[in-house]
Amino acid sequence: MRPFKLLDPRSLDEACQMLDRYGEDVKLMSGGTAILILLRQRVFSKPYFINLKAVPGLDGIRDEPGTGLRIGALATLRAVETSPIVRQRAPLITETFRLVANVRVRNSGTLGGNLSHGDYRLDPPAPLLVLGAKAVAVSSRGRNTYELKEFFRGLFETALQPDEILTEVVVPDAPPKAGTAYFKYTSLSETDWPCLGVAALVTPSDGGGTCGELRVAVTSVAERPMLLEHLGPLARGKRLTERLLEELGDAAAERVDPIADARGSEWYKKEMVRVFVRRAVREAARRAGLAAG
Amino acid sequence: MTRTGEGRDARAVGRSVPRVDGAEKVTGRAAYVTDCVVPGMLHAALLRSPLPHARIRRIDAGRAATHPGVSAVVTGADLVQMPGLDPYFGPAFQDQAILAIDKVRFVGDPVAAVAAATREAAREAAQLIEVEYEELSAVLDVQAALRAGAPLVHERLRPSQAFADLMGIEAERQTNVCYHFKLRRGDVERAFAEAAHVFEDTYTSPAAQHAPLEPHVTVAWVTEGGLLHVTSSTQSPSYVRLSLARIFGLPLSKVRVTVPYLGGGYGAKTYDKLEPVTALLALRTRRPVKLQLTREEEFVTIHKHAVTTRIRTGVAADGRLLAREVAVYWDSGAYADIAPRVVHKSGYTAAGPYAIPNVKIDSYCVYTNRPPAGAFRGFGVPQVVWAYESQTDAIATRLGLDPVAYRRAHLLREGDLFATGTPMRSLAVIECLDAVAREIEWGSGLAGSSPPAPEVREAGVPRRVLRGKGVAVGIKAALAPSISGATVMLNADGSASVLSSTVEMGQGSDTLLAQIVAEALGVRVPDVQVVHPDTAVTPYDTITAATRSTFHMGNAVLQAAARVREQLFAIASDRLEVDPDLLRARDGRVFVAEAEDRGLTIPEVFGAAFQAAGTTLVGEAVYQTSAIPTDHETGQSERVTVMWFVGASAAEVEVDLETGQVRVLRFATAADVGRPINPHHCRQQILGSAVTSIGQTLFECLHFEGGQLTNGSFLDYMIAGYRDVPPIITPIIVERAHPEGPYGAKGVGETGALSVAAAIGNAVHAALGVRLRDLPLTPERVLQAMREREPARAARRGQVERGPG
Repeated sequence: MRPFKLLDPRSLDEACQMLDRYGEDVKLMSGGTAILILLRQRVFSKPYFINLKAVPGLDGIRDEPGTGLRIGALATLRAVETSPIVRQRAPLITETFRLVANVRVRNSGTLGGNLSHGDYRLDPPAPLLVLGAKAVAVSSRGRNTYELKEFFRGLFETALQPDEILTEVVVPDAPPKAGTAYFKYTSLSETDWPCLGVAALVTPSDGGGTCGELRVAVTSVAERPMLLEHLGPLARGKRLTERLLEELGDAAAERVDPIADARGSEWYKKEMVRVFVRRAVREAARRAGLAAG
Repeated sequence: MTRTGEGRDARAVGRSVPRVDGAEKVTGRAAYVTDCVVPGMLHAALLRSPLPHARIRRIDAGRAATHPGVSAVVTGADLVQMPGLDPYFGPAFQDQAILAIDKVRFVGDPVAAVAAATREAAREAAQLIEVEYEELSAVLDVQAALRAGAPLVHERLRPSQAFADLMGIEAERQTNVCYHFKLRRGDVERAFAEAAHVFEDTYTSPAAQHAPLEPHVTVAWVTEGGLLHVTSSTQSPSYVRLSLARIFGLPLSKVRVTVPYLGGGYGAKTYDKLEPVTALLALRTRRPVKLQLTREEEFVTIHKHAVTTRIRTGVAADGRLLAREVAVYWDSGAYADIAPRVVHKSGYTAAGPYAIPNVKIDSYCVYTNRPPAGAFRGFGVPQVVWAYESQTDAIATRLGLDPVAYRRAHLLREGDLFATGTPMRSLAVIECLDAVAREIEWGSGLAGSSPPAPEVREAGVPRRVLRGKGVAVGIKAALAPSISGATVMLNADGSASVLSSTVEMGQGSDTLLAQIVAEALGVRVPDVQVVHPDTAVTPYDTITAATRSTFHMGNAVLQAAARVREQLFAIASDRLEVDPDLLRARDGRVFVAEAEDRGLTIPEVFGAAFQAAGTTLVGEAVYQTSAIPTDHETGQSERVTVMWFVGASAAEVEVDLETGQVRVLRFATAADVGRPINPHHCRQQILGSAVTSIGQTLFECLHFEGGQLTNGSFLDYMIAGYRDVPPIITPIIVERAHPEGPYGAKGVGETGALSVAAAIGNAVHAALGVRLRDLPLTPERVLQAMREREPARAARRGQVERGPG
């Protein structure tokens, strides 16, 4: 890998100034799990990197009543996975994060790095999308909040501006009585990148028995993780029968444009969207106390 | 079945003693080639071809040569001008230049080499070399390579003369077929005409990576007296010495090849790989040079052959196998490496271990513009087993016969003739089949199919699944002729040293050889030191591969130890005044068989012979096996090998009907090991083979696009990991002492790999009624096969299932 200089800012302000000063010559680094591979493969290089781990206070995880979970961008995936507060407030996040890569990667990789990288093959975006998370970014221009569903723009492309630093992810409380589930599917080795991942959130309607709110997100299958907002209206007020689950799977597959690779062709991945949307919604419904079928 | 050797006294042999290298390895202290640092050492890097087939018009290395830290830049054009240098190498054909001369033949073909002060400087400099190519049309797969008028990967070929079994090979002229093995037995056409049923199918098995933990690495330097010292991650030190001596025109005594522990080989590290170019750089710079591949380079250095097998079998109404005709096409890539031997040895087993009177086999070794393919654990046999055991299963199923019973009825038995005309002996294949079938409770439920699967829930969600069971057998012959030499040195204190060129690559050879010597001399296993290969002191050995070390080096070491024991007993018999035949050695003592109190300790025996401390007794032996070469036209030979090794596998699988994913729930694999020297190590070898093969069966596959490997790193290519291992996996040792094996032992390094894919494929068929003919059995392929079988159902989807409304 080409030599580079690692800059250690002592504060967020200083990090922002460094971004302004070095411009095109600098990139942010946190856990390094993704970027080091790119550097080693020589497909990417920069003369400077800003070591965000040097900035204190960016890795907190706390619950703010009325707002939700506030997870610092520098919190490692492992810290999020094992946080009792996260487990209590958003068990879907715990369930998902324990499936990311392996424990060595989770110990090093950070939530902010994971989201900012914009790689389509990542698990964490899916639960955060269905929970309606927001990403907070700062720059010397000020503070900016992105809805996560508008954050992912394309392959390795996010809404973050070059001078912005993702500092925090805010996860609102799930609606009362919500059931959630995440299904990760690997079509080759179990330790491989996912073929796809599906997160679902279901609430029972006020009268019970039928579906209130339904939110579904798919990841690792198309250019970017996506919240499939068109599914909610299809299910609202209806019983989640097998037939409806199948319709939801079909409707999801129609909207997704898979990337074909060694893990599956476009045809196969569309089929798996159908299958795993059904499974994730069925399981979320079960956890919400709604009997499927 | 009586125990051979010194059965009653057996203490070191036949016991699962712990690995002698275990503690050193798990504590990270064991030294590998990568740990080797020589003062003043330079680091090398290679520039590789970006094109699958191209003429090299011009190379400008000017900028690289002046890059800071660079000591030398060498190209193919330089090689041809070096006096006394023969720049071509290869164990079968000398078809590979140290660096491409005139043209490149695959994406990744080394074009230039740089030696510099640091690895980084060498790599940067390599990128500064400018090469002008004239692209040639390429043959990117076997079909393209076999087409009339196809571009030739090699215009001419020169056979190597390194191995007796490869002396006679001839390439077909003006084609890309570098070797064609033929076997003809009986009259196949007449038998097909008489057959009640004829089965004809084509099976494929893809290219796969060895993925040793340690990538290839070599360090070379010239010491005083002009000795070329090469320490390398090789499974064949004796061959590498021979090859380097020939390339550089040196006497064998002036080439010293040493191999410390090897970080996994699986066949990838057989024959010469990095040694010629690293030695060249060391000779050129007169400095030590280290070349270590990146993982990405490892992927284009060597791989398991992609194979297409067309198999046709004629069967009588009662199920007898009347005729089998097999055509096997091997994609050997741009350089032959050891492929002709793979094609020959796997070729002659391609009809399977069955009684079939009429057999016709054609096995073709084909050059293509892909990275070279070579030896991989199983040496081509798993690819042909995939074909013949899938088809044998299809035959049994079609005839409504139980697949286990059907195989039992037609497997070769002791004394029967193999397709080569070789009488079979020491062959416990039926015992292996019975053992694995029993292990997975074959026969509970319908033949091959499991009892109905219980409702399977994953995270509380019911899944639609089907289960099935399958079996398969496999056979491979030991490489013959082959040679192992060994020296055993007994020290005056009762400790011993073994000089052997067998490479400890994780298979446990250090422990095994120590056990044999400890047994023969009556000393303690931990007191036997096995000296790692060093061609300056360890005798010639053909190779550490081919499941041959236990049998061949085991015998050499046993004979060498016996010669030491003779000397020991001769001295002791004088002193004790008894016939040496009545003496025994055990627990560091030599004593009289019927009067154990009458004896001497080993130090006392030495004291009687020598008036000095620290003396040694030395024994040497060369163990050689013979074979009769197969006939050029018919492939017949009365003695094609000295040892057959056979195994069987059985699998119970569960297939997810919605995703097509195959999960192996239970797996059993049995190997006929002769008599185990170390039962625990045997089971570990069987288990390791099985797990590797499960990955290759279910998901491993190298993908190429336009000759370019597209998944050549661990980011995109996974081997079986811990979570891919079936929840129940049972390695089984089947014992039948081999009359010529050391203490009755045979090898076991590859046996567990032979039949895995076919057993799983057969289980999938039992579950679904769908036969897959292409490996790997990815979920997509399984789902596709299910849909193809039920196109009507797929078309109805959304109508009938949902009801009319």
